[in-house]
Amino acid sequence: MTHAPRQLAAARGLGKFYGPRLVFKDVQFTLTAGQCLLLAGPNGAGKSTLLKVLAGLIPADAGTCEVQVGHDRLGFLGHVTCIYPQLSGLENLRFWAKVHGLPLDDDALRQRLAAVHLADAADDRAGTYSRGMAQRLNLARVFLNAPDLLLLDEPGTGLDAASSALLTKTIRQARERGAGVIWISHHLERDLPEADAVLALSGRGAPAYHGPASGYTPEACTC
Amino acid sequence: MTLPVPLLAALAGLAMAASQWLIWAYAPVEATLGPVQKIFYIHLPLAWWALLSFGVTFVASVLYLLKKNIRFDLLAGAAAEIGVLFSGLALVTGSIWGRVSWNVWWTWDPRLTTTLVMWFIYAAYLLVRGLEMPRERKATVAAVLGVVAFLDVPLVFWSARLWRSVHPAVFASKEGGLTGEMATTVIACVAAWFFVWICLLLTRRRQLLQQERLLALQQTLSARN
Amino acid sequence: MLRAALIIAHKDLRLLVGRSSGLVQAVLLGLVLLFLFSLSQAPGQRLPAQSAAAVFWMASLFCEILVVNALFFVEESQGARLALTLSPMPLQAIWLGKALASLVLLLLAQCLFLPASVAFLGQSFSGDVWPALAMVLLADWGLVALGALLGALSQGQAARESLLSVVLFPLLLPLLLAAVRGMTQALGGPPEPLENWFMTAGAFDLMFTAAALFLFPYVYGGDA
Repeated sequence: MTHAPRQLAAARGLGKFYGPRLVFKDVQFTLTAGQCLLLAGPNGAGKSTLLKVLAGLIPADAGTCEVQVGHDRLGFLGHVTCIYPQLSGLENLRFWAKVHGLPLDDDALRQRLAAVHLADAADDRAGTYSRGMAQRLNLARVFLNAPDLLLLDEPGTGLDAASSALLTKTIRQARERGAGVIWISHHLERDLPEADAVLALSGRGAPAYHGPASGYTPEACTC
Repeated sequence: MTLPVPLLAALAGLAMAASQWLIWAYAPVEATLGPVQKIFYIHLPLAWWALLSFGVTFVASVLYLLKKNIRFDLLAGAAAEIGVLFSGLALVTGSIWGRVSWNVWWTWDPRLTTTLVMWFIYAAYLLVRGLEMPRERKATVAAVLGVVAFLDVPLVFWSARLWRSVHPAVFASKEGGLTGEMATTVIACVAAWFFVWICLLLTRRRQLLQQERLLALQQTLSARN
Repeated sequence: MLRAALIIAHKDLRLLVGRSSGLVQAVLLGLVLLFLFSLSQAPGQRLPAQSAAAVFWMASLFCEILVVNALFFVEESQGARLALTLSPMPLQAIWLGKALASLVLLLLAQCLFLPASVAFLGQSFSGDVWPALAMVLLADWGLVALGALLGALSQGQAARESLLSVVLFPLLLPLLLAAVRGMTQALGGPPEPLENWFMTAGAFDLMFTAAALFLFPYVYGGDA
């Protein structure tokens, strides 16, 4: 590989206010293909807000943020499961495949469900799923279009060990494929080894830490 | 923007005093209605400036949607509050006028109906502004409603006029029969109420701005502790 | 955009017709209203055509409020709204999809309200029916266009139905007047030219369809 890896997202001097209250400022990073950036910081430090700015859901108040990935190749996995409880698992996926304009037939969709261990529950209403199952369905939805940029907002909250392991495995596979990951995690000690870089927001303006994951000590922030 | 509110307030006081003199001493007592007719000199300015308030809300709402500056949201809110107050008072005074003049408290007069419907719409708008929502979302939702509400005004007026009669009525002018002195008084009253209106608007806008700052300060402090 | 809107509408219809009590509730409320208004006529008398037309449209309004709330609630319960706003489809397609879905449901409900008006309010279709039918379609479109725009507004609020009613009803007044006049004709009211009322309803539809296309992304997208 002689050419430089593709840049997926870059932020320069990014700042955000809630009303007149400063949430963060001077946020600066670049993310290239295959990289994983972990967002750390106490509650209310603006991690989710930063992720929403990157997703284009809310505008930034200062600085620039360039995301070179269109909405069709963006995956946003939050702690909400984004399912329709009255539809079955298969119907949920079928709807999202149509929304994304993907030519996937039911066999292909069933395979996707099997990959997240939902083959047996494919025709049950999603409303009857446990939290772990619902989040695995959500995972299948996010990976329908093989996203190039993954934005993760504590997707592991309330998951059992098996679902958590599946989540970590899927993310690792996506990175091997060349996807970039920006990840808010509350399990720093577990997820830190996955990350290349860490950006720790302070909640008081400029970030408290930005650098390689190896140089970051989670004790600095107890969350 | 720092318009001299004290100066405007002083002007408002003087203009109101002068308009009172015009109403009671200068303008003649109307022949058929008697002194009750003088309520008209309060009613008309209230109705006019209420409509202008809603216009300000509309413009500020559009500007908020385009610029996302919270100051426009506060201006829209302040204008709507005054608009609801003024149109409410215009409805009460208009109702008294109607009782004396047409012998009914309420009638489907297009102007009266439009004022009432606007009062309903903007009261709902203020209700939405009072909801518990994230700050930016609330401002956006309010702005959308501020735009939709004002677009509706001409339609409400037109349809209320159609409703009354089978044939579209010729625009009947209520103040067409005003004599010279009465017309002068009405114009003076509208001008006097302008100063009252602009003072209220600027003061309320400043209040809302300060409230916003205090809230932000409080949040910043509680975030640090 | 139309394709995307149809995908949304198809999903919403499927959810509301087969899988939840949303539509049934809305239809029942309208029917109960129509029945209760039969109290206002003395035994042996029939309600004047205009009163019956007004009651019919009241029932339609309340039905529409419930339908719109149900339509927006399906995305709200598990946060699917987020996934939808981040999907590649334009946000306006969501508005159009919701408007189309609620138009279908409203027309369905009105098919039941009409015979109910005949039965409970002692009406008969003795007047000119075709112009009234055109007016129903025009009025329904205005109703669902504005309803789908403002339905997103009460998301996440307590007492959402009453909030939406308070906001929507006064805004709908011009349309309601036109619709009542049109329906009065069909029920054998005094004949009158309806051109001006068609113009009113048409202007309303055009203005708020345009406004919704411009404004819906603000209400639905972004942070909630």
